[in-house]
Amino acid sequence: MSETREPDAEEFKRLCEFIYRRTGMVFGESKRYFVERRLLDRMASVGTGSFGAYFAHLRLDTDGEIEQFVNALTVNETYFFREDHQLRCLTSDILAERVKARRGAGPIRIWSAPCSTGEEPYSIAMWMLEHWPEVDAWEIEIVGSDIDTKALEAARLGVYGRRALMRLPPEIIAKYFVEEAEGRWRILEDLRESVRFTAANIVESSQTRPHGRFDVVFCRNMLIYFDDASRREAAENLFDALEPGGFICLGHSESMSRISPLFEVRRFPDAIVYQKPQEASHA
Amino acid sequence: MPLIRKPAAPPAAQAAPAVDPLAGLAHPSSQVRWAAARIAADAPGGVEALSRALGAETDARVREAILTSLMRCKSPACVDAIVREIRHDDAGRRAAALDAMRAMPDAVAACAPALLRDPDSDVRLLACDLARLMPVQDATRLMCERLERDEHANVCAAALETLTEIGGPEAFASMEVCAARFSHDPFLGFALKAAARRMAPAGERP
Repeated sequence: MSETREPDAEEFKRLCEFIYRRTGMVFGESKRYFVERRLLDRMASVGTGSFGAYFAHLRLDTDGEIEQFVNALTVNETYFFREDHQLRCLTSDILAERVKARRGAGPIRIWSAPCSTGEEPYSIAMWMLEHWPEVDAWEIEIVGSDIDTKALEAARLGVYGRRALMRLPPEIIAKYFVEEAEGRWRILEDLRESVRFTAANIVESSQTRPHGRFDVVFCRNMLIYFDDASRREAAENLFDALEPGGFICLGHSESMSRISPLFEVRRFPDAIVYQKPQEASHA
Repeated sequence: MPLIRKPAAPPAAQAAPAVDPLAGLAHPSSQVRWAAARIAADAPGGVEALSRALGAETDARVREAILTSLMRCKSPACVDAIVREIRHDDAGRRAAALDAMRAMPDAVAACAPALLRDPDSDVRLLACDLARLMPVQDATRLMCERLERDEHANVCAAALETLTEIGGPEAFASMEVCAARFSHDPFLGFALKAAARRMAPAGERP
């Protein structure tokens, strides 16, 4: 392998434009060090020291390199109260709209997909208990779904390490967790019982339809990993999975507008989210 | 602790839509057409019906579902139907068709050379963008051909933009030809110089 060198300014711009075009993620000069470290790691992994050779490898998506590179660029870990501005938006604005729009007496339904090992749906439950005054007035169903059944087993178990709890205030840990062993905490049974976990591939409508319709869907940091065709399929399945006027929350680097025109953009003080138009009823 | 109650039984699943996939594509209700568009590709004669419906459909959401279904099939008939949309007068429909084509790189490789020689300069311009999806050498050759021959400055500018992402010094000769052909066009002259700077190998940039 030739000697590896960092990309020069023009190469860096070229790389950033390509990443933006493919993913919508924007990296500028302020993130140069972050991007370069990961670029050099990936160049080493594919065995080249040349930016040109690596960029060709990336562009052609040889051996799934785009996914590998995106993985390296995204902080691929989950923890409680991650992107809590969206949770604030949920209890400050979204739920009020959904409650107002409701005609029947059914439960308020929230879907976390993908839910990985459960941190997100449990975070939603805890956040609502702590921050939504109407929580006791409504029947609420929270569903966590993932394609990875091992992750779902862990989610049902509800045992987490210190890192997953790093954003939680001590009083919240004390209230909702029991310390099981050194550095391991288990979610209280009441909270575990409040979330239903299911296996589902969001790209398959035959797997999303059985879940019924939801008021709010959290679908964070998944669509960026799909190719264009799968992203569109997923967007249409999520559209069908929402009640008219229902909301979808994506990850901070994702934009539904780049994937599908089906949804309307809603800008709330705490977050930008996407809404299924109220008039879009179902066949 | 207040409880978030789990319902005793899961809510009713969404039933598969009770829609005739082919007849549904022409139904007066856009919701029925949406549901039909999502399942028609799997029905006999569905691709032909979707292709016809794409041209006639007025609801943007239903058109989106038709495009997704056609993309999923990827047959030559599907590609033809989407390419027809690239010629549409409505910019939104052209953009939606381009997005669909971007999800079909193999189809793009097959039809891009013809689109790049289309009599309509707007189609050629849009095809330059699609060429990014092709293997580098093929795309570079086609973009250089545009730079050397296309009579429209905007098509050359689009080819140049694509080359700036994918090309290298092998395109410089064609860029010089383009600069000479459009010596009266200050924007293209500026763009060619900026592109050359970016495409030059590291250490050889002015």
